[in-house]
Amino acid sequence: MGIEAAAVELAGVNIHLGRGAARVHVLRDIDLRIKSREAVGLVGPSGSGKSTLLMVLAGLERPDSGSVLIEGHDLAKLDEDRLARFRGARIGIVFQSFHLIPTMTALENVAMPLELQGAPDAFARAAQELASVGLADRHVHYPAQLSGGEQQRVALARAIAADPAILVADEPTGNLDDATGTAIIDLIFDLKRARGTTLVLVTHDPLLAARCDRVVRMRSGRIEPAEADVILPAAQ
Amino acid sequence: MSIAIGRAGRPIESQWPLLLRLAIRDLRGGISGFGIFIGCIFLGVWAITAVSALSHSLSDGLAREGRTILGGDVSFARSHTPLSDEERSFFTARGALSGVAIMRAIARHNDQTSLIEIKAVDGRYPAAGAVVLSPVLPLQDALGVHDGIAGMVADQTLSARLDIKVGDRIEIGASSFELRALLTSEPDKLAGGIGFGPRVILSQDALRASGLLQPGALVRWSNRVTVTPERGSVIASDRDITRLIEDANAAFPNAGWEVRTRTNISPQFSRNVDRLTQFLVLIGLTSLIVGGSGIASAVRGFVERKRTAIAIMRALGASGSYAFAAMLTEILCIASLGIAAGALAGAVMPFIVAGLFGTLIPFPLTAALYPQAIAGGIVYGLLVTLSFALGPLGRVHDISVSGLFRDEVEPQRSRLRWNYRLLTAAAALALISTALATSPNLRLALIYIGATLGSFVILRLLAGSLIAVLRRLPRPRGLTLRLALLEIHRPGTLAPSILLSLGLGLALLVTLAMIDANLRQQIEQQIPGTTPSFFFLDVRAADASSFQDYLKAHAPQGLVETAPLLRGRIVKVGDQRAEDVHPKDNAAWVLEGDRGITFASKVPDGSSLTEGTWWPVDYSGPPLVSLDEEIADGLGLKAGDALGVNVLGREITARIANLRRVNWRTLGINFVLVFSPNTFAGAPYTTLVTLAFRPGNTSAEENAILRSTARDYPAITSIKVKDVLDAVSNIISQLAIAIRAASSVALIAAILVLAGAIAAGQRARAYDAVVLKTLGATRRRLLVAMLVEYTVLGAVAALFGLIAGAAAAYVIVTRIMNFDFAWVWGQSLAAASLALIFALLLGLIGTWRVLGVEPAKMLRSL
Repeated sequence: MGIEAAAVELAGVNIHLGRGAARVHVLRDIDLRIKSREAVGLVGPSGSGKSTLLMVLAGLERPDSGSVLIEGHDLAKLDEDRLARFRGARIGIVFQSFHLIPTMTALENVAMPLELQGAPDAFARAAQELASVGLADRHVHYPAQLSGGEQQRVALARAIAADPAILVADEPTGNLDDATGTAIIDLIFDLKRARGTTLVLVTHDPLLAARCDRVVRMRSGRIEPAEADVILPAAQ
Repeated sequence: MSIAIGRAGRPIESQWPLLLRLAIRDLRGGISGFGIFIGCIFLGVWAITAVSALSHSLSDGLAREGRTILGGDVSFARSHTPLSDEERSFFTARGALSGVAIMRAIARHNDQTSLIEIKAVDGRYPAAGAVVLSPVLPLQDALGVHDGIAGMVADQTLSARLDIKVGDRIEIGASSFELRALLTSEPDKLAGGIGFGPRVILSQDALRASGLLQPGALVRWSNRVTVTPERGSVIASDRDITRLIEDANAAFPNAGWEVRTRTNISPQFSRNVDRLTQFLVLIGLTSLIVGGSGIASAVRGFVERKRTAIAIMRALGASGSYAFAAMLTEILCIASLGIAAGALAGAVMPFIVAGLFGTLIPFPLTAALYPQAIAGGIVYGLLVTLSFALGPLGRVHDISVSGLFRDEVEPQRSRLRWNYRLLTAAAALALISTALATSPNLRLALIYIGATLGSFVILRLLAGSLIAVLRRLPRPRGLTLRLALLEIHRPGTLAPSILLSLGLGLALLVTLAMIDANLRQQIEQQIPGTTPSFFFLDVRAADASSFQDYLKAHAPQGLVETAPLLRGRIVKVGDQRAEDVHPKDNAAWVLEGDRGITFASKVPDGSSLTEGTWWPVDYSGPPLVSLDEEIADGLGLKAGDALGVNVLGREITARIANLRRVNWRTLGINFVLVFSPNTFAGAPYTTLVTLAFRPGNTSAEENAILRSTARDYPAITSIKVKDVLDAVSNIISQLAIAIRAASSVALIAAILVLAGAIAAGQRARAYDAVVLKTLGATRRRLLVAMLVEYTVLGAVAALFGLIAGAAAAYVIVTRIMNFDFAWVWGQSLAAASLALIFALLLGLIGTWRVLGVEPAKMLRSL
C-alpha cells in the first residue's frame, strides 16, 4: 500500500457548516487514503457526513482545516477556476438527483465536460459514451423527455465522458426503483472495471456497499475505527 | 385557517374581514421578496401624486396671488390706444385705476445697446404688492425728474449688458434717463408673459417725452381696476368684478380690450401648466406601467412560494376562488404600503419644493395637501397593481392539492381561466378610462395609451419570436454562444421581462431625447438668407422707405422684407362673439389677447392658398381677410365666413376670402390674419422690417447693425432673432429639466424591474452555473456566456427602443407639436447606449453573485 500511489489522500480534514447556534461540526479530523482503481463504499446514517466528505474529495467543498490530495494534487493550492478545470478533467460526479441541464439534449449534456476542455471531437465522443450506457437512440431528447433511469444513465455518461481518474457517486440509485437502480449500479461497476477508474460511492444500501473493495463507515462526522473497515476480496 | 375555509359556499364579499385577518397574519412573517414590488408601486404613485400636487399648488398660488400678479381685481388691456377720458371716468367712478404701458424699445449707453421691455407706470403703481429696489427707495421717487432728467429702474441684466451702474445715464428713444436703482422684484411680473429683454420701469410722462409713443407704435396699455368693494367688505367680491366687466362692456361695446380677472390671469399660462402637468403625469404613469412587469413577476414569484400553503388551504376545503381572494387580499395589503408611501411622499412635495426652492422659482406655490392629487395617485397605483397582479394571481385557482403528495417537477401550465382574464381586462379598462377621463388633451392621452399598449404587445411578440427563432435555429458549435442562447430560450427565461422593462425604458428615453433634439433643431436651424437675423419694430410708415435704404446701405448683402403691422383682437368668429367660441386646442391662443395683423395686395412669401382666391391688387370692396388654414379649422371657419377684429378701437368685420398654408418655420414675416389693403385705409400703422443676412455673416456684423440703427433711428426697436431664440431655448431647457426628472423616475422603475427579473432568475441561473462548474466550467467562461446573453437581449431591446421611441417622437412632433421632424439620432443613440451599458452592468453584477455561489452549498440545498 505504501508504495502504491494514492488516488485520494485526506489528512486531518475538518468542516463546520452553519453559523452561530446552528453551527455543526460536520467532518471531524478525517484521514482517508484511497488507492488508485480502488472502489470504496461510504456508508453511514443520515447526517453522518458522508455526502460532505464526497464533496470535499470532489473539490466541491473546501475544508476548514486539513489537506486534500487528489492524484498528488493539493486542492487547497488551486484557485476556483483551476480547481474547476481540474475537476472537469480528473473527477467524474454522479448525483442522486442527476443534475442534468434541463435546456440541453442528452448529447449536449454529455458533451459539456469535453467541450469545456476544448475537445474538438466532443460530440462524437459524447455519442460513444451515450452508446456505452445504452442510450444511442436518445441523443436529441431533453431530460424532461427521459425516464429517471435514463436521466441517470446520461448523468453517468457525462461523468465518465472526460475519462476521469476518479468517479464519485452520491447515492446514485436513491431516486430510482430497484430494477433500474440495479441496472445503473451494474453499469457503474462495468465502466469502472473497463476504464480502471477509482470509485467512491456513497450509499445507504449495504448490498451495494458490499460490491466495493472497501467500505468506510461514518458516524457523527468521523470515520469509524479502521478495524471496522471491511476489506472484501473482489466482491463483485 | 380551517375555521374559515370550511365555510365554503358563502359569498366571498362577506368573508373579507376574515381574508384580511388571514392576510395580516401571514404578513407578520415579513414581506421579504416584495422589495421590487413595493419599489415599483412607490415610484409611480409618488411621481403621479407629486406632479399633480405641484400643479395644484401652482394653480392655488396663482389664484391666491392673483390680485398682486394682475395688479388689481381686473385688467382691461388693449394695444395702441390708451383709455379715453370717458373710459377713464367710468373706471375711476367704480374703483381705483392704475395703468401701465408695456412696449419694447432699445436702450443705449455709449456704444452699447440692448433690447428692453419697458413698463411705463402711473403714480398709483403698484396697486397691489410692492416693487423692491436696490438701493431701497420708493419707486415714484426713483422715477421722478431731478435736474431735468427722468429716472428709471432696470433689471440687473441691463446693467450687465450695457455696463452701467446706478447713477449712469441711458438713452431710450429721444430721451435720456438716469438709472436710479436696480429692480429686485416687481409684483405683476408674471402677468407680463415672456420678455425677451431686461425690464425697465419708467413713468408714463417720461415715456411720452421719449417720442416712442408715435401713432401705431406697438404699445400695450393695461388698465388695472381695484374695484370698490361693497360696504362692509375689505376686497371686492367676484360678483362685484363680474358686474364691472358687464357694465364696462355694455358702456363701451367697441373698446376691444382684453379682460383678465384676478382668478383668470393668463389662460394661456394656465393651459400650458395643464399641458405640462398632463405630460408629466403620463410619464409618471409610464413609470407605473414599466413597474407593472415588476409587479407581475413579483406576484408570480409570490404564487410559486405559496404553492404549498395554497395546496394546504385547498386541502382544508377552500375553493379556488377563495384561495384567489385570500392571495389577492395579501397582495393588496402589500401594495397598499407602496401606494400609501408613494402618495404621502408625493403629497408633501409642495411643502418640500416651496420650502427649499420657494425663493428661487418665479411662481407662487401654495404649500398644502391636495386631496385630488393624493386620490389620483392612489387610484392609479391600485389600478396598475390590479391590472398586472390579477393574471398571475388567477393561477392560484388551479393549484391542486395533489402537489402535497408528490413533487411536481414541472407544474402543469393550463390556460388562465376566463373569469380572471375578464377581471384583468376590466382593471386595464378602468386604468385606461381613468387616464382618458383625467386628461385635458384627449388626443395626447389616446396616442399615449395606444403607444403603451402597442409597445407591450410588440415587446411580447418580439420576446416570443426571439425565443421561438432561437429554439429552432441549429445549435451553434461554439459552447459559449450556445450557453448564452440557451439561457434566452430556456423555460422560465428572463427574456420577456428584460425585453419589456429595458425596451419600454429605452423607448421612453429615445422619445424624449428625440423630441428635445427636434425642438432645439427647430429653434437653432436658421436658413441663411431666408431666416431673418433682425426684426425691426415701430418703423413709422413714413420712415419705412428710408429705413429700408438705410439697411441696404449698411448690410448690402442682406435681404430686407417689410410688412405693415397693427395689433388687434379677434372679437367675432362667424356669427358668434369670440368669448362664446370653443376652439380646438391648437387654435385657442389666437383668441387670447392681441394678434399681429397686416394687409397685403399679394399672397405673402412662404404662404400658399389652399381654399378660395386672393383679392385683386386694386381691390376696393368690403373688407376681406386671408386666414391660416389650421387656425381656420381650429375655429371652425371656412372661406366665405365672417371674421370680426377690433383694431385701434374700431371693430371691423371681414369676409374670409381664402385660407393659406403658412410655413412658420422660416421665421420670415407671416401672419395668421392678412387683410385686403383697403380695410385699414387711413389708419395709423407701423411697418415691420426684417433683415436676413446672406450666409456667412458674423456676429460682429450683426452687432454693428444693432448699434448703428439704435444710434440713427432711436425710435425703432431692433430685435435680434438670436436673442429671442436663446430666450425660447432657455425656456425649453427649463421644461426639459422637469420632463427629464419625471422620466428618470420611469427609468428607475425600469431598472428596478430589470433588477427584479435578474433576481427572480438567479436560482435557475445559479443551478446551471453550479452544474457547469462541477463539470469544469470556469467563471470567465460563464461570465462571457452571460455577457453574450445580455448583449443579445439588450441589442433587441435597444433596437425596439430606438424604432419605437423614434416613431413616438415622430408622432408627437408632427401631429401634436405640428413641426417638421428631423431624424436626429446622435443624442438618442448616446442615451440608448448609456442605458444599455448600465443595464448590462446591472445584469453582470447580479450574475457575478451567481458565479460566487459555492457548488456544495447549492447542491446541498437541491
